[in-house]
Amino acid sequence: MQHRDFDIVIVGGGGAGLRAAIAAAESAKAQGISQSIALISKVYPMRSHTVAAEGGAAAVTSEEDTHQAHFDDTVSGGDWLVEQGVVDYFVHHAYQELVQMERWGCPWSRKEDGNVQVRRFGGMKTARTWFAADKTGFHMLHTLFQTSLKYSQIERFDEYFVLDLAVHEGAVIGVIALQVATGELILLRAKAVVLATGGAGRLFRFNTNAGIVTGDGMAIAYRHGVALRDMEFVQYHPTGLPGSGILITEACRGEGGILLNKDGYRYLQDYGLGPETPLGKPENKYMELGPRDKLSQAFWQEQQAGRTGTFGDSDVVYLDLRHLGEAYLLERLPFICELAKSYINVDPVKEPIPIRPAVHYTMGGIKTNPHCETSVAGLYAAGECASVGLHGANRLGSNSLTELLVFGRLAGEQASQRAAQTEWADMNLLETQAAHQQAKLAHLCDGEGSGETWVTLKHAMVQAMESGCGIYRTEEGMRQSLETIRELRARYQKIRVNDTSKIFNTELLECIELGYGLDIAEASCLGALERRESRGAHQRLDEGMQKRDDVNYLKHSQVFYQGDAHARLAWQEVDVRFSAPAERTYGDASKGGKA
Amino acid sequence: MSAQQVSTRRISVKRYLPDNSTEPYWQEYELPVDDSTSLLDALNHIKEQLDSTLSYRWSCRMAICGSCGVMVNGVPKLGCKTFLRDFDDEIRIEPLAHFPVQRDLVVDMEIFLDHLAAVKPYLIDDNPVKPFDPKAPETYRQSPRQLARYKQFANCINCGLCYSACPQFGLNPEFIGPGAIALGHRYNLDSRDHGSTQRMAELNRHEGVWSCTFVGFCSKVCPKHVDPAAAINQSKVASAKHTLIALFKG
Amino acid sequence: MDKSTSQRFVPLKRNWWLKLRFFKLYMLREATVLPLVFFLLCILAGMVALLQGPESWQRWIAFMGSPIVLLLNLLALAASLFHAATFFVLFPRVMPLRIGNYQLPDKAIVAGQWAGVLAVLLLFIWLFGRASV
Repeated sequence: MQHRDFDIVIVGGGGAGLRAAIAAAESAKAQGISQSIALISKVYPMRSHTVAAEGGAAAVTSEEDTHQAHFDDTVSGGDWLVEQGVVDYFVHHAYQELVQMERWGCPWSRKEDGNVQVRRFGGMKTARTWFAADKTGFHMLHTLFQTSLKYSQIERFDEYFVLDLAVHEGAVIGVIALQVATGELILLRAKAVVLATGGAGRLFRFNTNAGIVTGDGMAIAYRHGVALRDMEFVQYHPTGLPGSGILITEACRGEGGILLNKDGYRYLQDYGLGPETPLGKPENKYMELGPRDKLSQAFWQEQQAGRTGTFGDSDVVYLDLRHLGEAYLLERLPFICELAKSYINVDPVKEPIPIRPAVHYTMGGIKTNPHCETSVAGLYAAGECASVGLHGANRLGSNSLTELLVFGRLAGEQASQRAAQTEWADMNLLETQAAHQQAKLAHLCDGEGSGETWVTLKHAMVQAMESGCGIYRTEEGMRQSLETIRELRARYQKIRVNDTSKIFNTELLECIELGYGLDIAEASCLGALERRESRGAHQRLDEGMQKRDDVNYLKHSQVFYQGDAHARLAWQEVDVRFSAPAERTYGDASKGGKA
Repeated sequence: MSAQQVSTRRISVKRYLPDNSTEPYWQEYELPVDDSTSLLDALNHIKEQLDSTLSYRWSCRMAICGSCGVMVNGVPKLGCKTFLRDFDDEIRIEPLAHFPVQRDLVVDMEIFLDHLAAVKPYLIDDNPVKPFDPKAPETYRQSPRQLARYKQFANCINCGLCYSACPQFGLNPEFIGPGAIALGHRYNLDSRDHGSTQRMAELNRHEGVWSCTFVGFCSKVCPKHVDPAAAINQSKVASAKHTLIALFKG
Repeated sequence: MDKSTSQRFVPLKRNWWLKLRFFKLYMLREATVLPLVFFLLCILAGMVALLQGPESWQRWIAFMGSPIVLLLNLLALAASLFHAATFFVLFPRVMPLRIGNYQLPDKAIVAGQWAGVLAVLLLFIWLFGRASV
């Protein structure tokens, strides 16, 4: 088994991981010390799911905009279940991070005068979303990856799959990973570890996410006693392609696209988002520029009322972009045009795009403090895998790309500072834990299972999550899902891998990912079941629970791992130091009261 | 609207399992397809229902992550953007050409990453007029036209199809190759960059732009219309100018 | 561990270009050089013949008039036109032209190159016309 020593190990090569790696390198330079940094990723960094983000990244940019406004939008967008100190830090550091990206070469779309262009986005009071056509995540990820090549102190471990953290006396001491190409284990001893492993959208059947978005880092931290927070909040993006779930960006609506039901009616005006805005004149926080949770819920209501169309097997509504014209669409939304044509044979220039909601984002995640540190000393988390407290019950579009920069940097800097004051632990401690992992792998491949495969269990898991934890939820449905997931966890103990090769064994990886997924699925179901109110993306149909209940549930859910036993839930107070909870309103309804 | 006609198709996949045998072999699979079935859907179906030992890479399934490149009937393509409906006859799937095969459809991309790093694909800004200051962050100005000069080359998803399409890379893996040169050129064309002289050392040599004979197949197979052949040959013009100027300067 | 030990690498075979139509066309483009070399050798021989005197010159004229040589030179003409056609299409991608802020469309550049060919052709016809008067 190979042994390596690093000051800082970063797990995950997406936007947050790369930003953390660069920040750690810069931070060491600023401290006048030399630190070694390992960046481990189960795929080549530019394959990470940041690449698929389309719409843009938010920051207060124009003269008329204010930090207060971005703060208010984010807090009310998250239905007050956000850490307000964290949001305050976020909105104040967003702009500098986007400018830093520009200085690293990110090809942001521009105005005629050469300044960066901003576009409208859902739930935002004003246009503050920076974009690079409709491939913002792609350009950000490649800019970060390519910039990271400048730093020789960052050593990449591409296609290394992290199996576990090594933790000793409440502090992280290293990482145990599997080299996918050879099946060999490697021990990386570290003084600080940053998890930047992305979300868990693949817990659900119908989603916009890449195949790799399986919640690995969440499960790894969770198994070491770190709480998963607010896991019941799963964002449905209102516009995914039928069949595949491929993402059609919110920027379509920011640029003026409209949503129609099968009768050609702009149904959103019936769901507290009206009155109807004139065609080609989108208005912030009205109609199509409402927040994602409200729009996905409106779809569900239309579906129940029989006003949705069909495309293949899916019920759909329609996103109409035709009035924007071909030239504008090709300039601002070229990728959307390409995707619609390739995957459903619809040309957005000529026809409305059939769309339906799809699971998109995990608002919850690894609980961290405002400095990205978890309850395990030296272990940090950033990006979608983390719950630093920014998104609450519903994330606003274009806040997450900025999040991975702001908190990726913070996590990297914190890790660097921690590493500067810490010593490596004894290698024997890591070896003991690695032996344990080796035994687990051997067990998975020993051929003495129940005969059931990961495929059956995975399908059962995504089915259970979708039926019980969808856009609208019921006590009974969630209870059933939780029971199913617990049963699947038991059955998982008996599955085995058919492929016994050590070389690029993707079946083995699928199996391990499924194990991770089942653990966090339990946390998600448990949080959902115990939250007996409706808030943001968590909407219940049960009598007496259809409204927000601040008296009992203005609290973060925290789920703790209990081994093979049932997970345990505890509540945490929410930081509401700046803005007292108020009614969350959009459209004309917001004019009377406050934001 | 979308046709859901299910029929059965046969596809052949080139397998290579180094633990069992040193020689690759063809394996046939029969699977249900409809009009929307992509090659990646087909591979996933094989993996989940027919043969869990088949290894291949994939991730985003929307032609942006660049993971799932394979040879389809001898032509490099992204599995997620290739639809079985477009093939009348047999479909033969192989790993990307010109790269060492690790297993089944998985190739070792390391050499591409080495070449990419060699062209310094990042903004070189050694003596900036205004250094980045987090306390007073300020962007460069870049007009939409300045952006348009390099934007196309910035769309490279690093999928490696162009390397599999390039016979020169096939003959000499030391050739930096289409994708990496396109990205080097992308930065050379960026109005914010001051690194073209540094990159010239790598580009203006035999294994740089001068290995290209403008076969042009790289641009043909590029799923993102980056046109790396154009980038390389624009780079040749720049390299030639650079050499001439250096000659006159002595 | 080194992952290269179990890897398989297939070097490119000599007949790689026979696999795809695209590559065959490329080889055809590259092969246009062969008839052109023949044509250049003919011209060189003509100059040598001119230096050597009238007899030699007449022999060269006769040689150039033989059917096989005529055929080969027609082939050279066709090859050079084919090469020009492929070259002209590639040119705008290699040297994109801008006038001020206006990017010239590819088609205009290709048409411009053919117009140039035509102009040179006309110029030569005119020159030969004057010379033979």
